[in-house]
Amino acid sequence: MKVMILQRIGIGFITLLVVSVLIFVGTEILPGDVAEIILGQSATPESLAALRAELGLNKPAVVRYFEWLGDMIRFDLGISKAGGTTIEELIKSRLSNTFLLGGMVAMIAVPIAVILGLLAAMYAGTWFDRIVTFCSLSLVSVPEFFIATLCVLVFSVQLHWLPATAYMSGDETFFQLSRALFLPVITLGFVVSAQMIRMTRAGILNVLHSPYIEMAILKGVPRARIILRHALFNTIGPIVNIIALNLAYLVSGVVIIETIFAYPGLAKLMVDGVQTRDFPLVQACAMIFCSTYVVLILLADIASILSNPRLRQRK
Amino acid sequence: MKEQTNSKISSFDVNGEIGYTNLSVGEKKLIKDAMHRGMTRREFVTWLTATGITLASAGSIFSSATTAMAATPKRGGKIKYAASAHGPMDTLDPVILPAGIDYTRARAHYNCLVQFDENLKPHPELAEEFSSNADATEYTFKIRKGVVFHDGSKLTADDVIWSMRRHMGKDSKSVAKPLMASAREWKKVDSHTVKAILRGPDADFATVLGLFQFKIAKKDTTNWQNPPGTGPFTLKEFKPGIRSVHERNKNYWREGPYLDVIEITAITDSVARVNAVLSGDMQLIDAVDPKAVKQIESTPGVHILSYPTGTYIAICMLRDMAPGNNDDFIMAMKLLQRRERIVRSILKNHGTVGNDQPINSIYPDHCDTLPQRKFDPDKAKFHLKKSGITRAEIHVAEVGTGITDTVLMAQSEASKIGLKLDVKRVPTDGYWGSVWMKTPINVVRWFGRPTANMMMSVAYAPDAKWNDTKWKNKRFGELLKESRAVKDPVKRKEMYCEMQTLIHNDSGIIIPAHINVVAGISDKVKGIPNVPLGQLGGHEWPEFAWLEG
Repeated sequence: MKVMILQRIGIGFITLLVVSVLIFVGTEILPGDVAEIILGQSATPESLAALRAELGLNKPAVVRYFEWLGDMIRFDLGISKAGGTTIEELIKSRLSNTFLLGGMVAMIAVPIAVILGLLAAMYAGTWFDRIVTFCSLSLVSVPEFFIATLCVLVFSVQLHWLPATAYMSGDETFFQLSRALFLPVITLGFVVSAQMIRMTRAGILNVLHSPYIEMAILKGVPRARIILRHALFNTIGPIVNIIALNLAYLVSGVVIIETIFAYPGLAKLMVDGVQTRDFPLVQACAMIFCSTYVVLILLADIASILSNPRLRQRK
Repeated sequence: MKEQTNSKISSFDVNGEIGYTNLSVGEKKLIKDAMHRGMTRREFVTWLTATGITLASAGSIFSSATTAMAATPKRGGKIKYAASAHGPMDTLDPVILPAGIDYTRARAHYNCLVQFDENLKPHPELAEEFSSNADATEYTFKIRKGVVFHDGSKLTADDVIWSMRRHMGKDSKSVAKPLMASAREWKKVDSHTVKAILRGPDADFATVLGLFQFKIAKKDTTNWQNPPGTGPFTLKEFKPGIRSVHERNKNYWREGPYLDVIEITAITDSVARVNAVLSGDMQLIDAVDPKAVKQIESTPGVHILSYPTGTYIAICMLRDMAPGNNDDFIMAMKLLQRRERIVRSILKNHGTVGNDQPINSIYPDHCDTLPQRKFDPDKAKFHLKKSGITRAEIHVAEVGTGITDTVLMAQSEASKIGLKLDVKRVPTDGYWGSVWMKTPINVVRWFGRPTANMMMSVAYAPDAKWNDTKWKNKRFGELLKESRAVKDPVKRKEMYCEMQTLIHNDSGIIIPAHINVVAGISDKVKGIPNVPLGQLGGHEWPEFAWLEG
């Protein structure tokens, strides 16, 4: 087990390195550089040259990559080429915003989704199951910007119950904070829980068809006990994996929600970084996203190994 | 007073309903000044009726003007403002201010030497007096005494000279560098007097210095995260791409500001931005999509602020390559624009009809004798036939409100007269570097400049860096240079009219419309000035806005 964890961490670092090269090549291929974007319509050859020199953009690409890598190894994220602020400064507050939003969604959506999935599996084929299936499939098919805009129109613009944006001044009470985050949290909650409900239901139903469950049924074990004791533990692997993927998505993929609710999170920062060709900023965000995936998938794998003795005995 | 104003007032539209709010900027100013001097209703009505306005109209102008001006500013309160774009690029470094949100922040944080009024005339700001020599080649600025930076240090000539020199020289990264090109050097005369020595005559030089990038910062500032300024607000918090918070500067050198706190952020999604003002989360938003105007107008508690500016959208046909080097093709394209329809249905009337030259009626140097070009498919067909061109390609990115729809409209009109216009849609991201001024036909959006000369020097002079149709007209270049030294109004008008006619007829630019600035604003917010230079009154509002109740 220890060996496996160490191996996975090692592979994780290699993944990060490969991703950083890909990102670097990607930002280099995009037309224009950060100096052109900053000066925009008012760029002249001289001001471009002056700005490029100031930003160190006149060095060859390979040199710039290794300079960045060197800084990264010393945990120095560097300075934003576009604004001149340190990237640490840019990322710090947004990272906590992202974790706050993601954490709230996870805390609410994961338990509800798993329980609904379980219940749907327990009562498969009943009206309850059909309603859950119908709702989750509809939510998965409707794009999140549609749900978000609809919620804002109803709850903020028409009813004035909730703010239209998740704009925070930083001195909010817990109540104000919950109000501000209510709409983004439920929108995201809909999106991620639908997947988890489907996966939990499918996983458990799958196990329910296996011989040892039949054995348990024949023994006369109550249905609830069969599902909670025999089926659930054998489905933990896939469920945890889908939860991990959804959590990683909450960290890196919520740019639409961040835009609609004007919520200053990391995903939007990375898009801004790409738009301004701000290579160190894009890299820093990419590294954070990539590490989140690596860590969460690792945790999911550990959880599934712990829950499944057969996997533990493999070596 | 009568003599002084009669000529102007006769230009009032005497037909139909008129009130103070739908008068032009200049007319408003005239009335405002008169009323500030204490004119009574009786005097006012006599004054206006003498110029041919009916008694009823004069009365209604008086009442609406008094309501517009009756309220005196109240102190206190907080305004949240959402611009349309921000990001890690946000900065408080005056020389590279990239966008509207930065202009607003800089306005709250710094001062300029001079400040624009609603007619784009420069008035003293940090310079308590400014004057030029007879041929406008030397300008002297007397710096106001007793002005302190936010860190407590005093403003002196050194700070001014340092701030100005940052726009000059080879290593300057200033985005306003070409505007400072007419200055040869900035000299210190004494601790509170500076002199600018120009390369040639420039009657508009002082006006340039009212622009956003010419804010005065403290000498040798290197930390642009919280630089000392002299402006009406001190910086409490500045997080690029998230928000900035500004608090009232208690030691400000003149009356105001009225608000205790302003928070400046951006909501990039235009629907979300409108929702934020509708729900009351924000008190001010700018860049309202014309399609959302109705929604704001029909909601109680908020209204639309919309007024004409010099900003225009345009199609650029490069004159130094095919097909733009063909005069007949150019003319055909100009005649194909359905200008009224563009203003009505694309801009929803939040714009004004353009006449293929950039100097519209907000500029004092606008030429009102130049006939308006009209949609004329028959003439266009004639010119197109003569040119022999049947196919052209145009690159479009939505760099300005309605430009894509305008091009699509032109495409459909072109197909009716036998011209196949291939519309290539490209992303706005990277547009200025890779498409604009490069492909044979593309589009542009220009923000208005404070003077006609500046606008034409930036984008139309034969040697202009941003001559975006590569139009080299020698006569135009000479006129532009000469006009800078002309102070005689009659001669000046003649020259400016000739220049505008030259652009109108010969350049590769099609200007179908000028765009209004359209903002959404809470009814409680008052005192937003009306400088037609950019979003929300030329970004001048932080110092003057106040909250009612």
